[in-house]
Amino acid sequence: MRPSTALASKHNSLLFVVFGALLCALFILSLFIGKYPLTIEGLISGSELQWRVFTTLRLSRVVVGLAGGFALGIAGFIFQTVFRNPLASPDIIGVSSGASAGAAAGILFFSSSIMVTLCAFGGALIAIVLAIAFSVIDRGGHKSTVVLAGIAVHAIAQTVLMCLKLVADPEKELASIEYWIMGSLNGINSHIIGSNLILCVVGLILLIMLHRQSILLSSSGDEAKMLGVDVTSMRLILLGLSTLVVSSIVSMTGLISFVGLLAPHCAKKLTGNNSVSTMILGGLIGSCILILADILARSVAATELPVSIFTSAIGAPFLVLLIFQGRKDT
Amino acid sequence: MSILEVKNLSAGYGKRLILEDISFEVNDGEICGIIGLNGSGKTTLIKGITNIIPHSGNAFIDGQDASLLSSNILASLCGFIPQKSGISIDLPVLDVVLMGFNPKLKLLQNPNSYMISKARAMIKTVGLEGRENDNFQKLSEGQKQLVLLARALASDSKILLMDELESYLDFKVRYKTMNLIKNLVKTNNMGALLSMHDINLALNTCDKLILIKDKKIADTIYPKTDLVADIEHKLSSIYGEVSVHKIKTDANHEQMVMLNRPEE
Repeated sequence: MRPSTALASKHNSLLFVVFGALLCALFILSLFIGKYPLTIEGLISGSELQWRVFTTLRLSRVVVGLAGGFALGIAGFIFQTVFRNPLASPDIIGVSSGASAGAAAGILFFSSSIMVTLCAFGGALIAIVLAIAFSVIDRGGHKSTVVLAGIAVHAIAQTVLMCLKLVADPEKELASIEYWIMGSLNGINSHIIGSNLILCVVGLILLIMLHRQSILLSSSGDEAKMLGVDVTSMRLILLGLSTLVVSSIVSMTGLISFVGLLAPHCAKKLTGNNSVSTMILGGLIGSCILILADILARSVAATELPVSIFTSAIGAPFLVLLIFQGRKDT
Repeated sequence: MSILEVKNLSAGYGKRLILEDISFEVNDGEICGIIGLNGSGKTTLIKGITNIIPHSGNAFIDGQDASLLSSNILASLCGFIPQKSGISIDLPVLDVVLMGFNPKLKLLQNPNSYMISKARAMIKTVGLEGRENDNFQKLSEGQKQLVLLARALASDSKILLMDELESYLDFKVRYKTMNLIKNLVKTNNMGALLSMHDINLALNTCDKLILIKDKKIADTIYPKTDLVADIEHKLSSIYGEVSVHKIKTDANHEQMVMLNRPEE
């Protein structure tokens, strides 16, 4: 191994240790924060109520935070690579909004959680198709076009959502939809997460295994084709899987902003490349951001706040910075 | 034996036809240059051969009709170097060269240690030894072209297709790179098709030159065997008033130069 390769590998290992340790600390901290006080002593003494809160509510919530942040980080990496645009991420291009509208339709017309997930996936797929179609209209290929396409998709999704809210039963469905749109890990319990987590994990494993294909797509379409890539099919597979993992999370948590943009960028800044370890590091950072935002959402005010308040507080200025950087580069 | 056979190829963009009824062959061990004015269709020809743009007529690569091949098989037969790489993210040089092995890998497979050592050898061959871990985006355009050449060479293809490879290379590297391609093509029984702007480089390194004008092949030059007067006449039909001279270098090597005749 060349000295510089060995050095880079050591640097990456160090980053994994740091973020792995941070994630473990946040995971444990998050288990013990919430309305109902849990204590290690209480759990050790075998308090039935504490164990029930721990296994049914707290653990599920933190696991979804971990999986959700990881999924958004990985999906963000794929979107940025496949769209060849540093501004692309599930929420910026409107995929999360599409999933929200789809999930709202699921809440309204079906009752099972798997149907809500499937509707969220359908909504997200429609959103991504629209975002690609709108981006293609701008032949200038400006990097901010994808953001404008996202705004348009978001507006359409919001209109659909408003229509759905109008027909929703104000007592039950409307409250569920409203709560859902705010984006929160509150309400997650062990009974609803099973199938969604399986979908999410399977999708993530496939995306990590397809990392090399996503890197090939980072070149122009002609170049990728001449490297033996079936460009259209591979784009569809990667974007479809990314949309699936985002939908599986968003259908449980509601809209979570900016994690998919922030996490992969932080990982790329830290490693300086787009290797598979950077992709996974982006997932770890995404998990850290989401669990931290959830801890803050539960602890800074008397009532629980939406997590997106905290993720947006960092994410929105970061997006503006990226747009300005893009303008300088072109 | 013919590595590339183009038969009655016509290609263009939308309704605009850029090339009409183009036919020629590139044999193994042969370097064929495509020359012509800006917009004459040099890049379009390469894109037509590789199926990147819609076209009529056929291109046979190693006897196989390119339009019937999957992108994977086409990629294993052709080493393609675009005018400029579209790679848009930070990647180490080694990873860019390893992309060349994609046609040999299964969907979820990663390059093995043999491929990694071959990629390193190719990086050394193009003169970028020690730059394996450098960020491809931070290289000069000329260095990027050399990395793409290393990527094309790594794939053991039958023919190299290069779109103005020389345009970003300085005078010294231009000749060095062309000599390298020449040696590799001869020793590996490959073929090479290059669109070129530097006529002097083309005259001194290519075995055959195809001159494109008004959508068609206007002429073919064989620099090693054609008379200088004939070459001058053929090039004048493209570039206007030019003169071609054979000169002897210090080492008693003959070289050809094309000069522009000053307007009166």
